[in-house]
Amino acid sequence: MMRSRSRKGWRRVFNGVNLAALLVFLFLVLPLYWMIASSFKTPANVGAVPPQYVPHPVSVENYTVAFTRYAFGRYILNSVIVAVVATVLVLVLGTFAGYALGRLPMRGKFTLLVMLLMIAVFPEIAVVSPLYLLLRSLGWLNSYQALILPYTAFFLPFAIWILRNYFLAIPHEMEESARIDGASPVRTLWSVILPQAWPGLFTAGIFTFTACWAEFLMALTFNSSNDFRTIPVGVALFGSQFTVPYGTIFAASVVAVVPIGILVFVFRRSVVSGLTAGVVKG
Amino acid sequence: MTTGTTATGVARPAPSRPGGEDVFRRKLARLGWGFTAPALIVVGAVTVFPILFSVIMSLSNVSVTGNGFKLSGVTSANYAALIHSDLWRYALTFTVVYAIVTVAVEVVLGTLIALVLQRLTVGRGWMMALLLIPWSMITVVNATLWGYIYNPTYGVLDDILSYIGLGTPVVLGTPVPAIIALMVADIWKTTPFVAIIVLAGLIMLPRDLFEAAEVDGATGWSTFWRITFPLLRPTIALAVLFRMLQAFGLFDLPFVLTNGGPGHSTTSLAIFGYDTMIADFDFGPGAAVATSAAVLALIGCLAFLRVFRAQVGREA
Repeated sequence: MMRSRSRKGWRRVFNGVNLAALLVFLFLVLPLYWMIASSFKTPANVGAVPPQYVPHPVSVENYTVAFTRYAFGRYILNSVIVAVVATVLVLVLGTFAGYALGRLPMRGKFTLLVMLLMIAVFPEIAVVSPLYLLLRSLGWLNSYQALILPYTAFFLPFAIWILRNYFLAIPHEMEESARIDGASPVRTLWSVILPQAWPGLFTAGIFTFTACWAEFLMALTFNSSNDFRTIPVGVALFGSQFTVPYGTIFAASVVAVVPIGILVFVFRRSVVSGLTAGVVKG
Repeated sequence: MTTGTTATGVARPAPSRPGGEDVFRRKLARLGWGFTAPALIVVGAVTVFPILFSVIMSLSNVSVTGNGFKLSGVTSANYAALIHSDLWRYALTFTVVYAIVTVAVEVVLGTLIALVLQRLTVGRGWMMALLLIPWSMITVVNATLWGYIYNPTYGVLDDILSYIGLGTPVVLGTPVPAIIALMVADIWKTTPFVAIIVLAGLIMLPRDLFEAAEVDGATGWSTFWRITFPLLRPTIALAVLFRMLQAFGLFDLPFVLTNGGPGHSTTSLAIFGYDTMIADFDFGPGAAVATSAAVLALIGCLAFLRVFRAQVGREA
């Protein structure tokens, strides 16, 4: 009797499901560990044979090299400027469009939404060359607007979807009473709807920011000069084809990836709800 | 007496005169288009217009001049060159096969992970959050990380393989292992996305169905194939199409990890298009490559639309 009960307690922790979960955990974490650990090796030990499984001695030299010998600080600044401005634009345009598509009686709404979803997943390569020629004619290559404008357009459709789903869920009564009180539609949106849609704005914001932060093809094509490189372009063009300064790259990567990782980790609930907005809820 | 309902089915107070409701609705619809117009203009200007422009470019002779460019004449030469190009045919085949294989593996693995996490008794929230980390990672960073793991001299993969007696292969030096290596790096980053979507779908399934199955004495395996999977199918189908369309645009990973090589073995359509347009400044043929990528995506989109309509129809 005693024995079977203790066995059951043991089983609660060491069962097949939890062991499988442990495998999943290792699958996810080991590559991350490898990146972070390698960034703290000395530049010479990054190429040690056999590889150092635990950095010894621990060094921050890769971090200082990334910021002093390479202009990594500048790349971060560029990424922040582009991502913040594009995210603000997406949220402003997306709020109006998401509200209209979620709550106002427009004909052809559904077709429009599906078309937006299509644009959200369209391959960038299809638009890069005409945009390149266009930006070149305007003299906008290597400028912030060369990325802000395409990012706003490309990431807007998904944000509209997320926002629309949040707007749909807000009860109609409050809007009605605001209207009866004679408030204008813009005022109703601003002071009645928006205060309740904060989680949606937040989710759409995280998504847009993360997408801008990681975008590579357009950043590489439009802004390859050293002064306007964003983080992904900077990381990809560190070193040359034959010598890749992995230590420096990992130090830079940890700086670029960890803040977003923490952000996503802390706000996982809203990120998950946003991820599933276009797919599960329909 | 109420005279009508809105699109959302909420009855409005009776209007003061007949037909007033219609006027009011029309006013709201106009307002809706007004609110939507700025977003549509921006999206159209930067996506729809360039796609059309790209098609025009692919059908004419493009010459790049000092600060601008010139289109002259109508020609099919760009497409003729494309069809006769072995590399284009290879890139197209590679992109499609790559998308199918990676997405298939992701869906199987992602579903398994979702099923495991659904039953997990310890630390489920943490695991969910952990799934989001690879998804949020910059692809270029992911590619560099795997390049370091695969490195032939000091890479950790060869160290592990030689420890278990499998020798030290030069993973990125030969075509097939390089393609597999690319797929592994991709699968690591994107399987969590599929797992999250499927897990969200699982949580939304009605619980009483499973209780009934348990009462009837169904085994785990048959419950999965007879109840869980059919109910999850629309969710999985949408995740598949999302990922397929993303995979058709494959660029960042091979650009950094293999630069399209060894030889041309990992040259995707996007890599080929980039090399033609930006590296070689061949805009006419480049536009033809881009258009072929757009057509491929469009085919994917039409499939997407069918599945989407089917799902929405089921919900209604």
